[in-house]
Amino acid sequence: MSAVTAPADQASWRDRLAERPFVALFGVFAVLYLVTGIRDHGLFTENGLRAVLLLTCPLAIFGAAETLCMLTGGISLSVTMTANLAAYVAASKSHLGTVPAIGLALAVGVAVGLVNGLGIGVFKVNPLIMTLGMSSVLLGITTVGLVGNGFLAGTTQILPVVTRISTGTLVGPIPSNAVVLAVIAVLLIWGLGRTGIGRLIYAIGDNTTASRLAGVKLWQVVIAVYIGTELLAAVAGLLYSGISGGVAPDQTNSYLLTAIAAAVLGGTSIFGGQGGYAGTILGALSLTVLDRLLTSLNTSDAVRQVVYGLVVLLLAWLYARVTGRRLLS
Amino acid sequence: MTTAPPRPALVPKPTSRWARLRRRHGWLIVTAGFLLVLFFWRFSQLPKFGGFELRTITAGAMVVAFLGMGQAIVIISGGIDLALGAAMVFANCLSALWMKGQHTGMCFLLAIAVIAIGAAIGTIVGTTIVLSRVPDIVVTLAYLFVLSGAALLILNQPGGGTAQGFRSAVAGGLSQPLPSILWTVGVLSVLWMPLKRSTLGVKLYAIGGNRAAAYLAGVDVSRVRVVAYTLGGMFAGMAGVINTAYTGSGDPRSSIGLAATLSSIAAAVLGGVALTGGVGGLVGPVLAAVVLGLIPAIMLGEGVDPNLAQVVQGCVIIVVVMIGTWLAVKRRAT
Amino acid sequence: MSETVLQVRNLAKRYGPVVALRSVDLDIKRGEIHALLGANGAGKSTLVKILSGVAQADAGSIMLTGRSVRFRNPSQARAAGLATVFQEPALIGELTVRENLSLTHSDPYQVREALASFGVSDLQFDELVRDLPLFLLRLIDLAKQLVLSPRVLLLDELTAALPSDITERVFSVLREAVRAGQSILFISHRLAEVMELCDRCTVLRDGCNVETFEPRDGGEGRMVAAMLGTPPEQLTARESRVIHHTQEQVPLLDVKHLTVGPLRDVSFSVHKGEVVGLIALEGQGQDVLFAALAGEYRPSSGQIVVCGKPLSARGPADAIRQGLVLVPADRATALLPKRPIRENLTLPLYARFRSWGAIRWKAEKRRIEDVVRRLAIDARAGAAGRLSGGNQQKLTIGRWLASGFQVLLLFDPTRGIDIGTKRQLYVLIRDLAAAGAGILMFTSELREISLVADRVLVLYNGQIIEELPPDTDEETLLSACHGLEVAR
Repeated sequence: MSAVTAPADQASWRDRLAERPFVALFGVFAVLYLVTGIRDHGLFTENGLRAVLLLTCPLAIFGAAETLCMLTGGISLSVTMTANLAAYVAASKSHLGTVPAIGLALAVGVAVGLVNGLGIGVFKVNPLIMTLGMSSVLLGITTVGLVGNGFLAGTTQILPVVTRISTGTLVGPIPSNAVVLAVIAVLLIWGLGRTGIGRLIYAIGDNTTASRLAGVKLWQVVIAVYIGTELLAAVAGLLYSGISGGVAPDQTNSYLLTAIAAAVLGGTSIFGGQGGYAGTILGALSLTVLDRLLTSLNTSDAVRQVVYGLVVLLLAWLYARVTGRRLLS
Repeated sequence: MTTAPPRPALVPKPTSRWARLRRRHGWLIVTAGFLLVLFFWRFSQLPKFGGFELRTITAGAMVVAFLGMGQAIVIISGGIDLALGAAMVFANCLSALWMKGQHTGMCFLLAIAVIAIGAAIGTIVGTTIVLSRVPDIVVTLAYLFVLSGAALLILNQPGGGTAQGFRSAVAGGLSQPLPSILWTVGVLSVLWMPLKRSTLGVKLYAIGGNRAAAYLAGVDVSRVRVVAYTLGGMFAGMAGVINTAYTGSGDPRSSIGLAATLSSIAAAVLGGVALTGGVGGLVGPVLAAVVLGLIPAIMLGEGVDPNLAQVVQGCVIIVVVMIGTWLAVKRRAT
Repeated sequence: MSETVLQVRNLAKRYGPVVALRSVDLDIKRGEIHALLGANGAGKSTLVKILSGVAQADAGSIMLTGRSVRFRNPSQARAAGLATVFQEPALIGELTVRENLSLTHSDPYQVREALASFGVSDLQFDELVRDLPLFLLRLIDLAKQLVLSPRVLLLDELTAALPSDITERVFSVLREAVRAGQSILFISHRLAEVMELCDRCTVLRDGCNVETFEPRDGGEGRMVAAMLGTPPEQLTARESRVIHHTQEQVPLLDVKHLTVGPLRDVSFSVHKGEVVGLIALEGQGQDVLFAALAGEYRPSSGQIVVCGKPLSARGPADAIRQGLVLVPADRATALLPKRPIRENLTLPLYARFRSWGAIRWKAEKRRIEDVVRRLAIDARAGAAGRLSGGNQQKLTIGRWLASGFQVLLLFDPTRGIDIGTKRQLYVLIRDLAAAGAGILMFTSELREISLVADRVLVLYNGQIIEELPPDTDEETLLSACHGLEVAR
C-alpha cells in the first residue's frame, strides 16, 4: 500500500496565500462587490460607493477596537456600551461647547478602558467576563443617568461638528468620516508594525509567559491596549450618533458581533499574536457590502439575518481551509 | 556504578481528605452560602413569604438556570456557545407556535420534540466547529445570527401560546414553587449525576482540561466535543420550553437571545465553571442563576433604583471572578 | 529465529515546503530493543508521530506483524499493538490518577503493580495529576502502556525527566518485557543509555535512515558520526580545550546565604569571564534557585548581589534591568511561536515603557543580522514555531545577545538538543564568557560539563555540598550528586 506524494505545486500556492491572507481577503471583497453591483447598480455610482464607505466607517472603527484587544488574546464585549454612553455624554453636555463635550466623551472611553485593563491586566480576570460584566455596569450607569435628574437627563443635542463629519462629504465619493477612519488606520497600522508597543502587543498575544520572562510588564501593555480599545469605541459611538441623528442606550449594539466578525475575517486570530488592522478594514467593507446585497434582495429581516450568519460562517470556513494550519494554535 | 542511598520519598505527601473535599466542592459551598444569605435577606424584606414569593424566585430563575447548565457542559468540555441564548429563543418561539390551542398532553409531546430539535441544533453547531476548524467563538457567533433570524421566521412578533395545564405543570401556578424546583432537581439527578460519573463524563472533563493529552490518551476528541454541544443544545431547548410555560408565549426579539447567552455564561462562571475548561459542575450554575435573579428583587425591596441592579450584577460577576482567579493562582503557587 | 515485527518502507512526509521525512526504512525484530537516533531536524519526531498515529504519512508503508496498517489516531495505533509513551505525558492535570486511568480503560491494579516494579509503591490514585512531579507522570504513562502488553513499545525520550536510580529499575523492567517477546523502539539523545540498553540502533539524518548497526560495533563515536555525517576525528579535536580560570575583584554575581523554598544557606559567586556549572539530581532545588535569581521569588533570608548591588526584584523585568537574564529549559515558555525570528530576538529591547515608541528599523536589522550570523541560526522558516529545537534554543539565547546582559543563567540549555547544535552552543558559551560575561549553567548532561565549565557546583537537598574541577570523571560527579563523599 502506498499513498501518492502531495504534488509540489499545490503545496506552494496555498502556502503563498497563507503567508499573505490579505490577497485572499481582497479577492473576497472584490467578488462580493461585483455580485452586489450586478443586482444593485447603484453600487457602481459615486453615491453608491459613498454610501458603502459611510456605513463602513463606524463598523471599521469598532473593528479597530476589537482588533487591538484580540491581538493580545483578549476580547471586548463592552465596546458598544461604551460607545452608547460616550455618545450620550457628548450629546447631553453639548451645551458646554464642542471641545469639552467631545473631551468628556473620550474620557468615558479612557475610564472604561482603564477599569477593564486593571481587571484583566492586574487582577487577571478573563477578558470575556470582565468586559461582559462591564457592559452590564455601563448599561446600568446609562439608564440611571437618564432617569429624572440624573447626569444624562435633559435635552440632548448632537454636536454640529459631529454631524458634519459623520454625514458630510469630503470630495466625490469619499465621506468625511473616512478622514477619521484614515487617521485611525494610519495610526494603528504604523503603531502595530513599527513601534515597540506594537511588538509587545503581538508578543503577549502569542505567549504571555515568554513575554514576562523577557522583561515585559504585562499589566502596563494590557491597560494601554484596553484604553485604546474603549477610546476607539467612544469615537465610533460619536460617529454613529452623527449618522443616526440621535442617541439611545442601545443604538450601536448590533455592531458588537459584526465588529468581531470583521476582525476575524480580516485575519486576526481570536487567540492572539497574529493579524492586523488592514485586514479588519477589508473585513468591515466586505460585511457592509454583504449587508447591502441582502437588503437589495428584498427579503425579510429574518431571512437576511439567517443568510448573513451563514455567509459569515462560510467565509470563515473558506478562510480556514485556504490558510490551512495557520489558523490553528 | 555506585548504588544510590535511600532518597527522600519519591511520592509527594498525599493531600488530606479535607483538602480534597475543599478543592472539589469549595466553590459550590461558598455559592450555596451566598445564596442562603441573599435568600434570608429577601425573606426579611417581605411582609409575608409564602408559595407566591418562593415561586417568583424559583420559576423566574429557571430559564437562566437551564441555560447555565447547558453552557456549563460546553465550557467544561473546553468550548463556549455564544448562540445558546438564541437557540433558547428559537425553541421558545417554535414551541409557542406549535402549542397554541393544543391540550396539555399534546404540549408535553411537542415539548419533547422541541427539546430534541434543540439537541439537533447543538449537534449541527458542534459538527461545524469540529469540521471547519474555525474557533468556537466565531462559529457560535455566526449561528447566533442564523438562529435569531430563524426565530423571527417562525414568529415575526411576540405571539403563540400554550395550554394552561402545561404552564402549571412546568412552571407551577402562581403560588406553586414545587414544580420548578422539582423539574430542576429532577434533571440534575437524572441527567447530570449519572453522566458526571460515566466514562463520557470523565471524557468531557478531560478534553476541557487538556485537549492534547486527551487525544494522545486515545479519547475521540471530536466526537466528545460534538456531544458536549448537543447536550448544550438540549438544555437550550429545555430552557426555551420552560420560557414558553412561564410566559405563555414566544418572543423572537434577538436582544433577548444575546442577553440570555450572556446570563448563561455569567451563571456558569459564578457557579464555579472555569472558562479554561475541565473544572466545575452543574449544581453551581443553578445556584448562581437564583443568586442573579435575587439581586434585582432584593434591590427593589430595599427601595434602590432597580436600574442600579444592572450595575450591581455586573460588579458581582467581576468581583466573584476576580476572587476565584486569585484563589486559583494562590493554589498553583503552593 | 527472530522475525520482523515492525517494518517501515519508504515512509515520506512533508509539511508544506519542508520535507520532514524523505524516505525511511526501519526494521524492528521481535524481542529486541531498537534505538532510533538522530539530530534535531533529522525526522525522529515526525517518524514518532506517524508510528503513534498522531500524523499520517504522505507515502510509504507500515507493516505490523505482517499486516499493512495505517493509523488515523493514537487509539488505532494502540489497538493494533503499537503503544507510545510520549514526551508530554498523556495525562489530564485536573483529573485524578484514577480518572485518567478510566479514560483509557486501564486496570488500576495492573498499573499499581507496574509502578511497584519501578520502585513507586505508595501512590494514592485519588491524587490530582496536577499535584504530582513530572517524572512520576512519565512512570504512570509508561505503566499504562506496559499493561497493554503491546507488540511494540515506543519510548520517546523517556529518561529525560527520570532520576538515574529510577532509570535503572525501568531498564530492568524493559529488559524483562523484551525477554517475554515484546519489542521496544527507544528514542534518546543519551548515547550512553543506548549503549547500555539497546541491541541495534538506526540513525536518521536529513529525513532518511543512513545506518543501522549494533551499538557495540563502533560505539558512540560511530553513532555521532552517522548523526552528523562527519568522521569521528573532527569531533574529538573540538573537545579538547584549554580552560582558563580568571578571577576579578568584584564578582558579577554573589549569592550569600540564600534561603528560599527548599534552598538552605546557599552561597557561591560567579566572576567575570567564568562559566560556573551546577549539577544536581531531580528536585534538589535547582529550579527554585534559578527562579529566585531571575527575580521570581523573594528570598526568606540571604542576599543576591549583582555587580555589587543587591537584587531587589519583584519579577523578571527587574532582574533583567539589573543584568540577570534567564534562558529557561522549556523552549515553549521562552519563544513566540507565531512571530518571526526578528521579533523573537528583539523582544527584550522594547520591554521597558520608554522603548514603546518608534522602532529604529535599520539599526534593529543590523543587530539581528549580527546575532543570526554569530549563532548560525537557520533563518529560512518564517515563524519561530517552525524552527527545529536546536535553532529555537539558539533564539532563546540569541535574544540576550541582542539586548545585552551581565550574568547569563542557563537552565539545562542542551536538553533534547542534537549533538551538532550542542557543540555550537558550548562554543558560544565559552566565547561569551571570554568576552566578559558571567555564566551560571545548570545541566543534566554530566559528561559534557567538562566542555564548558570552569568549575562545578553540586546541589543536594537544597545546599551546595561540593565544588569540583570540571575534568572530574562522570562517576565521581554522579556520586557527588547523590550526596556521597568524594575524593577530590
